[in-house]
Amino acid sequence: MIKFSNVSLVYPNSTTTVLEDLNLEIAEGELVLVIGPTGSGKSSLLRLINGLVPHHTGGILAGDVSVNGLSTREVKPGGLAHLIGIVGQNPINGFVADTVEEELAFAMEALNLPNETMRKRVEEALDFMSLAALRSRAIATLSGGEQQRVAIASALVMHPKVLVLDEPTSALDPIAAEEVLSILQRLVHDLSITVVIAEHKLERVIGFADRVIYINGDGKTEIGTAAEIMKTSPIAPPIVHLARALGLDDAGLSVRDMRRNTQSIRETISITPPSPIAPGTIPVIEIDQLTVTYDVKPALNSINATIFDNEIVAVMGRNGAGKSSLLTSIAGVGSSTIGSVRIHSMDSRKLAGNTRRELLGYIPQEPSDLLYAQTVAKECQQADKDNEIEAGTTFNLLEQLVPGISLHTHPRDLSEGQRLGLALSIVLSSNPRILVLDEPTRGLDYEAKKNLTRILIGFAKTFNRAVVIATHDVELVAELATRVIFLADGDIVADGPTIEVLLSSPAFAPQVSKVMSPVPWLTVRDVIAEIGEKP
Amino acid sequence: MKRLSLHPLTWWIWSFLIAISVARLNSPIFAIASVGVTAAIVYSQREDAPWGQSFSWTLKVAAWILAIRTLIGVLIGVPIPGTTIFTLPIIPLPHWMPGIRIGGAVTVERLSSALSEGVIICAMLVIFGAAASLTSPHRLLRVLPIYIYEFGVAVVIATSVLPQLVTSVARIRQAQRLRGQQAKGFRSYKRLAIPLLEESLARSLDLAAAMDSRGYAFSRKRSRYRPIRWTSRDTVVMLSGVLVMVLT
Repeated sequence: MIKFSNVSLVYPNSTTTVLEDLNLEIAEGELVLVIGPTGSGKSSLLRLINGLVPHHTGGILAGDVSVNGLSTREVKPGGLAHLIGIVGQNPINGFVADTVEEELAFAMEALNLPNETMRKRVEEALDFMSLAALRSRAIATLSGGEQQRVAIASALVMHPKVLVLDEPTSALDPIAAEEVLSILQRLVHDLSITVVIAEHKLERVIGFADRVIYINGDGKTEIGTAAEIMKTSPIAPPIVHLARALGLDDAGLSVRDMRRNTQSIRETISITPPSPIAPGTIPVIEIDQLTVTYDVKPALNSINATIFDNEIVAVMGRNGAGKSSLLTSIAGVGSSTIGSVRIHSMDSRKLAGNTRRELLGYIPQEPSDLLYAQTVAKECQQADKDNEIEAGTTFNLLEQLVPGISLHTHPRDLSEGQRLGLALSIVLSSNPRILVLDEPTRGLDYEAKKNLTRILIGFAKTFNRAVVIATHDVELVAELATRVIFLADGDIVADGPTIEVLLSSPAFAPQVSKVMSPVPWLTVRDVIAEIGEKP
Repeated sequence: MKRLSLHPLTWWIWSFLIAISVARLNSPIFAIASVGVTAAIVYSQREDAPWGQSFSWTLKVAAWILAIRTLIGVLIGVPIPGTTIFTLPIIPLPHWMPGIRIGGAVTVERLSSALSEGVIICAMLVIFGAAASLTSPHRLLRVLPIYIYEFGVAVVIATSVLPQLVTSVARIRQAQRLRGQQAKGFRSYKRLAIPLLEESLARSLDLAAAMDSRGYAFSRKRSRYRPIRWTSRDTVVMLSGVLVMVLT
């Protein structure tokens, strides 16, 4: 169905080749997963399939990409619209219409399909993606998972043979991600559509993949079945790391297989649950009867919680459960709040300037919102000046957090992980008492996440600080947090040590715990600490 | 008041007619009145969507333009005799620039003429801003003919990305306030501009790529899923505009 013959790709003004001599054939009805570190060219590979690269982005392409016999050299992306559906990283940026129905019809209108056909196909797609109830809703009011479904549906109306998705689950909570992936699975099995996905969160998708393409960033690619690639790949979900740590022959792609393989371990081990790490005794954030309303809808209903020093608190919950409202209220910038949030006994809404910087560091969902200078050096200087600290301190911090960033780079040219590192070092340069992060792991690869975990744990331990982090990433929470606050529809439904909260809900349980249940282990590290690494 | 569902071109045509009337009549009182009427229409008719929120920004920009226009009009220009309010020191200019003066006596006549010119310019701006915030850019695109492809893409990008920027501005300002930066003054705009430009560029590219890969303008002809019809309501609104134009 898709054929790459001797494909090489270089972007102008760039010294590295994105792809080098790639040969690949993807058969009809195959689900292929593209993995690789951030910035390695996963998106470029996906966009080569319908010719957006190089028609839209520029770049020098050698070799040939053809889909169903049509070469992207000869046909422009528009000419492949009936054949390939493409869903970008942020579907919201690609929506062209106001309501769900109009969005679905857009591509068909563009190709001048007759009205009866359009009606029929829109109904089909609405049913297939369970969107019928949302048909006349404004797209802007939909949740992230719903938007993703609309984006997929608007590709499906064209009856494409190929569906290409760039990180379809990275912004979604585990449950919404599960929904989207099971739909893809159905498309492959029922309609024999060829699906190509790029994704960082392998634990969510690896079980569905027929084949995996690993791009390592300097043009080299490896192609094989999931089991083959996972034997050696440095990018792997926790369950694969577990299999490696236990010295199993099986790569460990599904929880079911791993449970069979580790039965003996679970039976021989009897351990007492680890005692949770004791938090500090100084209350640093006191949330008292906090209510937040948007328009008329309450985002938070009269919430009470106290966060102590030396705690790393993960705020979890579905999209729209009130996580961001809670975080902005802690930061004191939320609108229409009733009740109070006190930080070191000060009203968080009244913090400003230096006091604010010293008490509270905040990393927004888009770390680049904080950055405005032309170079990394200028950003660091500004932070030094703001905090009245010795020149160079912030850059030294950055060097520790993410080594190897040139002073003269424009912040925009940094990778997602590096940009987060820069934002973190600016915020941490004032050594705030509390650090708040709003979904920092969107678009981060495993390496960057490991780095983030190390930085945050180090920060909390060294200085006895409190960290509050909102995230969908269960595996990150398992590695990082000491306490989890679980929100649902504006209420706190669970609040306790990580191990208790995560183990009590199957949807939010990390992979290792699914394998090892009922033994209460959350991470590979926990397992190794208890039974030691096998050769 | 209930929101009327109108043809996407209706408010644009209406605004155009009102703008012509404002220009023809050249009366600041009529200009202010029409701004009042359009503002009332916007606040009762706008959708709860990004472009619906953009009107308050139009008003802010218009107020700035009015202030700057008046200031320059008072400071620089040909003196108009009349009742002097106060006198500014005259900055001497070289002899080859006769007739132009910076500073000098500020008369009631001069102030009012500068103000009324400014009011008319700003009224036009506000009237078109109202049309932009009353009309969904996406619906507008659907009624535009396909052969103005480049234009169509530009319209969609400008009208759907720019209003979304209003939301982005609020978000970025909040983030920077959290970094402990002051949110006031000229420097804060400079800090805002870079992340904003970056984001709008990325969004525009995403949108253009999405439209392209969905076959926009690939076919010369375009079918309609739900044709947008010109109804009697649209005619009434348009006629009200024509009436105003004829009467002025």
